[in-house]
Amino acid sequence: MNSRKFVCIICPNSCEIEASVEDGKIQAISGNKCKKGEEYVVQELTDPRRTISSSVLIEGSFLPLCSVRLTKPVPKKEIFRVMEEINKVHLKAPVSAGDVVIQDVCGLGSDVIVTKNMERV
Amino acid sequence: MEKRDVVIIGGGPAGLAAAVELKKKGIEDILIIEREKQPGGILRQCIHDGFGLTRFGETLSGPEYAQRFIDQAAQYHVEMICNATVIDLSSDRVVTYDSREGLVQIQAKAVILTMGCRERTRGALAIPGTRPSGIYNAGVAQSYMNLFNTMVGREILIMGSGDIGLIMARRFTLEGAHVKGVFEVLPYPSGLPRNIEQCLNDYNIPLYLSHSVVDIKGEERIEGVTVVQVDENMKPVPGTEKEFSCDTLVLSVGLIPENELSIAAGVELDGRTKGAFVDENYQTSTEGIFAAGNVLHVHDLVDFVSLEAEALADGVVRYLNGEAQKDCEIEVVPDRNIGHVIPQRVSGKRDFQVSMRVRRPMGRCRITLRQGENTVVSKVVPKAIPAEMIQFKVPSDKINSGEKIEVLVNEQ
Amino acid sequence: MSVKTVNGAGQDFGTEHEDRNNSASLYDVAVIGGGVIGSATARELSRYQLKICVLEKELDVCNGVSGRNTGLLHSGILYEKNMLRTECSMEGNAEFEQVAEELDVPFKRCGKLIVGFGDEERKRLEKLYQRGLENNVPGIRIIDHDEIKRLEPNADGDFAIYVPSAGILCPFTYTIALAENAVKNGVEYHFDSEVIGITREKGEKEEEGRWRVETKSGTYYARWVINCAGLYSYKIAEMLGFGPYYPNRVKGEYEILDKKAGAFLSLPIYPTPNEYGAFDIHVTPTVDGNVLVGPSIEKIGNNVDYSVTQKMIDHLTENGSKVFGYVKREFFIRNYVGVFPTIEDPETGEEIDFQIDADDQVPNAVSLTCITSPGLTSALPLARRVVRKIRQKEELAENGSFDPTRKGIVRFAEQDIETQRQLIKEDPDYGEIYCRCECVTKAEIKQAIHNPLGVSTVSGIKYRTRATMGRCQGGYCETRLTASIQEELGKKREEVLLNKNGAWMFTGEVK
Repeated sequence: MNSRKFVCIICPNSCEIEASVEDGKIQAISGNKCKKGEEYVVQELTDPRRTISSSVLIEGSFLPLCSVRLTKPVPKKEIFRVMEEINKVHLKAPVSAGDVVIQDVCGLGSDVIVTKNMERV
Repeated sequence: MEKRDVVIIGGGPAGLAAAVELKKKGIEDILIIEREKQPGGILRQCIHDGFGLTRFGETLSGPEYAQRFIDQAAQYHVEMICNATVIDLSSDRVVTYDSREGLVQIQAKAVILTMGCRERTRGALAIPGTRPSGIYNAGVAQSYMNLFNTMVGREILIMGSGDIGLIMARRFTLEGAHVKGVFEVLPYPSGLPRNIEQCLNDYNIPLYLSHSVVDIKGEERIEGVTVVQVDENMKPVPGTEKEFSCDTLVLSVGLIPENELSIAAGVELDGRTKGAFVDENYQTSTEGIFAAGNVLHVHDLVDFVSLEAEALADGVVRYLNGEAQKDCEIEVVPDRNIGHVIPQRVSGKRDFQVSMRVRRPMGRCRITLRQGENTVVSKVVPKAIPAEMIQFKVPSDKINSGEKIEVLVNEQ
Repeated sequence: MSVKTVNGAGQDFGTEHEDRNNSASLYDVAVIGGGVIGSATARELSRYQLKICVLEKELDVCNGVSGRNTGLLHSGILYEKNMLRTECSMEGNAEFEQVAEELDVPFKRCGKLIVGFGDEERKRLEKLYQRGLENNVPGIRIIDHDEIKRLEPNADGDFAIYVPSAGILCPFTYTIALAENAVKNGVEYHFDSEVIGITREKGEKEEEGRWRVETKSGTYYARWVINCAGLYSYKIAEMLGFGPYYPNRVKGEYEILDKKAGAFLSLPIYPTPNEYGAFDIHVTPTVDGNVLVGPSIEKIGNNVDYSVTQKMIDHLTENGSKVFGYVKREFFIRNYVGVFPTIEDPETGEEIDFQIDADDQVPNAVSLTCITSPGLTSALPLARRVVRKIRQKEELAENGSFDPTRKGIVRFAEQDIETQRQLIKEDPDYGEIYCRCECVTKAEIKQAIHNPLGVSTVSGIKYRTRATMGRCQGGYCETRLTASIQEELGKKREEVLLNKNGAWMFTGEVK
């Protein structure tokens, strides 16, 4: 059994969690203020995931870029593959926050959505 | 001269939240003056997520968080003029702004300062070395990358572990640049632990604590820096100099409330926050001028900015209704372990919200507000770090004299 | 035709600014160096019917000694009576109201204080005062503590020399104004044109000879060469056949303070000079309202070193605060370094006076070396002496259309509210503030981008408008400036330069 430390990234509390882990299972856990901390540790042990944000080119608006993000976390190791897909996107104004620009990116079950209203100018 | 009940300077998160809250409380005649072409303030360029957990119970990107308030402001018909810069504010609340339509002066009954903050620069720190191109403040680099589609460099070093620097370390990495390291002069990070985790550790970006940049090299474009380890008194340790090559140095070394207009209006500033002295109504030393958000004190989370601006609205309504505003005579004074405390004056008649930051990281500690021997409120927090603001409600029923209220923190 | 190779000739560099038979390409005068001395010289020469060019190695004027000093209009008290630098600075000082008026540059005759404490300093100040009297420095007097406090409450001393004729000006604005006025009167500026070789080509007769000046941007021919190359003047002098000179340059570090501190300083304050006549750290208000602390003094031989050091930052802070209490970290906004082109006499090791070389051994050349402080004050007097040297050799016909005036960019921040209203009405770009610290509008930025000298660097806009010079150091406006450069001049991101070749700002687009 070994003890591992985690910093929970789910909320700004940034709980410093200590968990005793055996065979990938948590035996004891402390430091988390809420249940989400425990879920985070389980996720980190089995399949660490992250959401990312970036931007895509947009034509016909007041700025050349439109911000986007993932709707759900994707496996950490897939982040740069997802970035490659995001880099291919070209939008045309207008767009609204929430518009889906890539559905189910890389088949990972997460969408890339616009996070900014950008009218046509 | 045009007259208004309320003029709000700055249409960022604080200004928008204050306007919406005032409308909800029945104040109709409000004007927000915003210098950018769109409202939203710094959130426009903060495209990462993590905003809104406290305020909305969900995690949003900066632009989405701003959009919620922009939509509300539209719904409540808040008047806003964009692409207009306030260039003067007088102590009797005449606001002068410059716009393409002309130079306009407005006499306001109340003015709300929500101008936000600016970044500390290389010059302010007097970092030695040459002055090549390629030295950017983190927020400037963020603006270039996220708004202007402009890449500032490829081989990046970051000085200072403030949150914007950490966020930019990840942004640079995702966009194909190589972040070679983050140097922090303090023995602990300035940014939030979750950002160390998800912006540095996730991408194997080394964080060098107790390290200072002592020389900048390069005649045209920056070519590298010399870094040295510092001891507990922040003095360089001889023989620990290391050279790092780079084409870009990003500085994330602190934020300073932007109070040029406040000074013009005769508002007294607190040397600790670099923002105004305020009472529990968020009124400054100049009657009818209020302040909230990063112009008052630098926040770690925008959620707290919005909440503070909403709390300010109560004070503004009372002021506009002619209720006594000069009854805040009790000083609130932090002890030496606390960097600052807001508000700095209270009436003792109303409950208020106290905000503070500790000066150094502490474990479990007890925070006490007391008047002489009388404890006003006492609270235990599991940990306290300078990167995180501590806030809680203070009930007025225990305040029983005009004596100053001391704010104490004791590590347990 | 015989060709005497002096330096660097024989290599092939760029275009030839052709050819001997084409008289249009032959300049009457090539001025080497676009600092304040070169620009003043070009401007004074443009009073005559001459075809003049200025060859500058950087991408703008005022990038060397001229832009890295204290911005002081010297009074003439500091040097011996018989020195050229005393003569020139007195002459330059006396005429500056008229110059400022003609060239539309800000200037304040604020006076200065040299303060002292105790008997020892009193003796040294008396000596300095006597020299001031000998030099006929107007209005100087020794004043007591009370009068010091009346003149400047933030100065301190038991006594002081008050020098009412000293003043402050902006070196950038002044040099740019001289250059723009020169261009208005027909002078051509060639930037990015470092001189790498100068050759004398003899003609049939002496007066038919010409100079072949090779630069990194091409070759230029001129009948006269004027050396105003500042730090590199000793090299150009040698290429021409003057000298040799032995540089022992002085490095001076400075600290710039916020205008918040500037509000507390109305005139320069110097401590008493030491027994060798050198001044320790002094403070000088700038004409725009900041404060300069420095310079430190360090001999650096033949080097050019613009790096700020921790040691000197500490020294400036400690000693500067002795003369002015607001020299504090909270007011720091920027550091810079000046390197001064000091030349020493190899035998005595002493700094030599301003040198104006012109003799028959080197026909049709005038060379200015060791133009260190007070060069800014002496620029036009030196320029007139150059003109005289040429007139000793040939008659110059007046340029009938010469116009001594030049108008600068109208600064929004400096206007009263009615003028501001009028400006916005005439040009709505005055209604958009680009630089919030210095209150610079889009209109000013656009005018600066389309400046008469054709300079396109970010620093070029800075020096012409003050954008990025405030306390946020471009945090707010730099994105706007660089976008404007791209938009107005059709440049790509990677073509935007901070101040010189190689000082690129961006690698390109993110997406």
